[in-house]
Amino acid sequence: MDSDKKKKINRRTFLKGAASAAITGGVAVTAGCKGKGLLGSSEAFALEFQEYFKKHYRLMTKTERKETVSRLEKLARLRQDITVNIDTTGPSENVLFGYAFNVTRCEGYMECVQACVEENNLDRKSNTQYIRVFEMEHGQMSPDKGDGKYFHMVPKEGHFYMGVQCFHCENPPCVKACPTKATWKEKDGIVVVDYDWCIGCRYCMAACPYWGRRFNWNQPEVPKEEITKEQHYLGNRKRVKGMMEKCTFCIQRSRKGELTACVEACPTGARVFGNLLDPDSEIRFVLENKKVYRLKEDLGTDPKFWYFID
Amino acid sequence: MEKPIIKKSLFYIFPGLLIFFYALAAFSGENEGTRNIKKAIVKLNKAQQVKAVIPVPKNIVRANVKYQGGVFFTETRKDKIKRFRCSSCHNNKKVSIQNAAAIAHADIKVVHGGKDKPLSCYTCHSQEDRDFLVAGKESKIDLDHVYDMCGQCHFRQKRDWIGGAHGKRVAYWAGERVVKNCTSCHNPHSPRFEKRWPKTYSVPQK
Repeated sequence: MDSDKKKKINRRTFLKGAASAAITGGVAVTAGCKGKGLLGSSEAFALEFQEYFKKHYRLMTKTERKETVSRLEKLARLRQDITVNIDTTGPSENVLFGYAFNVTRCEGYMECVQACVEENNLDRKSNTQYIRVFEMEHGQMSPDKGDGKYFHMVPKEGHFYMGVQCFHCENPPCVKACPTKATWKEKDGIVVVDYDWCIGCRYCMAACPYWGRRFNWNQPEVPKEEITKEQHYLGNRKRVKGMMEKCTFCIQRSRKGELTACVEACPTGARVFGNLLDPDSEIRFVLENKKVYRLKEDLGTDPKFWYFID
Repeated sequence: MEKPIIKKSLFYIFPGLLIFFYALAAFSGENEGTRNIKKAIVKLNKAQQVKAVIPVPKNIVRANVKYQGGVFFTETRKDKIKRFRCSSCHNNKKVSIQNAAAIAHADIKVVHGGKDKPLSCYTCHSQEDRDFLVAGKESKIDLDHVYDMCGQCHFRQKRDWIGGAHGKRVAYWAGERVVKNCTSCHNPHSPRFEKRWPKTYSVPQK
């Protein structure tokens, strides 16, 4: 029975075969005529075409992942003339990422926002930012009443600052909302998006109670010399118009043991990042010794992002 | 006649118990994630949390205190002071230095300790041995271990710094713990961060 099934051509393999035949035909034709067609080099066109037939990231085998990564790297070289290194490092065992934010220490310099934009190749045209920093009066608890658009000398008297980003919930409502399963929670707690599987319906954006997700309304534009070359398939690789993206705890850095860009940029040490399953980690010290609270805890989303006071 | 009564009551008791235990589980106050974190009490090997090789940064020194996970390292200070050793000028011999007036620390303004009790040079610096800091009689503090000096007054901050709630790690969350020293971020002569313009701004959203 099984051998019979294998012999049969299913829809996907048929389409793949047809596609590759079309490509070879097309390539042969364009190469014969001009060498370089209207769509740039024919090789890039072929690669882009093959990209349409890849699987969901979680269903890919190791070789398939390697193939798509090599395709994407080649495309970056052909289309943008840059050499990128796309990583597919998986989650490590006994690692669950957690984050803490010291509202007493933050002075609102917004170094984290800038570092995040640069690290994650965020769109400069529409000014996409994963992190928002709210200026709030003493005594306020919710950033609803804070000022997220301040631009003056900081810190301002009688105010404190509160950074908000994706909280990487243990019970993420965005994952439940996604109709194509393009977003999911990794084993180390990072909620990621498969950009190629996202259809841009923005249900997750509506489902997120923290406004942690961003939509690409236009083709993201990043100056060539500012592109971060160390990339991750689920992180800061190239995105296109009509895809959802979000903070990934700098997956390309944190999976290698590095601190996220925002933590490294913070000049006041208000941001703490670490492994929640390691009882010696800084984040565990904060949870055990400090007064911590989470945003909208009553919703039961169980975010892994705590605020604490000195 | 008795049996049906028991049966009838059972009919109400079972669903009642079911609802009761379900509610108990739901409102016990802890989510699954929080419970998993609390369960994790086994000490992990520092090196094995991440597969990547984590280089140990240069210019670090072992701190002479221990945190919950054992020994840790902190950034050095002495190599960042331009004219260390201090005793090369501050000694009993006569020294001739060009531009001595310009480099005789006149640029340092001490904004530390508040208006009521401002600190002076000799609150921290040793008068006898200029290469060291001093806290009380005969307790020389090496400039690399400046946290011992700061912790004399800022003991809460020092406790948090040892644990990890104050200050920050250098570059890596995994591997050997290397943290910034007090003086990596704070200017010891005026430790408060200055008012300045934010690095960027947010466009109106929502």
